[in-house]
Amino acid sequence: MGDLLYHFTEWLRTTWVNGASLEISDWKLSLWLDTHFWAIPIMQVIHILSISAAFGAVLMMNLRVWNLAGTDRTFAETERRYVRWVWWALLVLLLSGIGMTIAEPVRELVNPVFWIKMPLVVVAVLVSLWFHGRVLRRLAKGGTAGPVIKTAAFLIIVLWCVIMLCGRWIAYAPV
Amino acid sequence: MNSFQSASIWDTIQNSNLGTTIAESTWMFPTLETIHVIFLVTVLGTIFVVDLRMLGWTSNKFAVTAAAKDTLPWTWGAFIGAAITGTLLWVSKAHDYMNNPYFLLKMATMALAGLNMMYFHFMTWRTVEHWDRDATMPPGVRVAAALSILFWFGVVFFGRAIGFTLGIFGS
Repeated sequence: MGDLLYHFTEWLRTTWVNGASLEISDWKLSLWLDTHFWAIPIMQVIHILSISAAFGAVLMMNLRVWNLAGTDRTFAETERRYVRWVWWALLVLLLSGIGMTIAEPVRELVNPVFWIKMPLVVVAVLVSLWFHGRVLRRLAKGGTAGPVIKTAAFLIIVLWCVIMLCGRWIAYAPV
Repeated sequence: MNSFQSASIWDTIQNSNLGTTIAESTWMFPTLETIHVIFLVTVLGTIFVVDLRMLGWTSNKFAVTAAAKDTLPWTWGAFIGAAITGTLLWVSKAHDYMNNPYFLLKMATMALAGLNMMYFHFMTWRTVEHWDRDATMPPGVRVAAALSILFWFGVVFFGRAIGFTLGIFGS
């Protein structure tokens, strides 16, 4: 696994990503963020607090699908309570993530784990759109969640955990 | 902390079999850290659900007791997981952490969050049947929720600050 990631990094160095990351590191904003000690930790704190809000909301919705929480409310009420928190948190995650990338462009962009994490985030957003837009809305009209929907709810939680895993391992990627 | 003290118990812990095993492994520390992050994100995410209800900002049609019942098993389960992984991380660098002001601030802030929760649980909660389903919460409840959010934000900030300052206050 380490070898595979190392070769991934070597390959990234031969792509446009390498030049782009070097170019970003010359930006005034990048230099400013990099020379202010608390800038990066504070962006990371915002990132962690936002994923907490998003993950908490996703967890409560999916526990509702499993009838493990929120059984005093309907699916429609559950969705109305939590969905907007997921989207707003995702926006803050995106902005703080862009900020962290501008602050440390080479560390983030020339990093195999970063490029594993990004497609997973896209998948998570698409799955969430489908799950919350179609599945929960259908459940809101009545009926209960079958095994397929319950499995999907569980896998969404696993997917977010893998995304958090990637986030932490960006710092430990073999480069 | 003088050298006589600092050469004592924290070094013994850090130099224990468990401590050196975690510190010398290439994957154990990052793996424990990852699990720690997932657990603490779960702790925060579920606590926010109750705090926002206690502030009267969300789920106001529903009982506070219901929000607490839905989230508390997950909060506590995740907290135990975060505490276990956190202890293992600490063992591997016990001396460094005990000399790091942000680690000590993190522990102090977590203690404040615990005291806030205990005061709320043993005092304010006794009258819960009077405000359980209210849209506007009594001041005591709102203050407890605001303090909870504030302290947990602080725990995350100090926690992240440790990673950036271990080299500065290190051994």
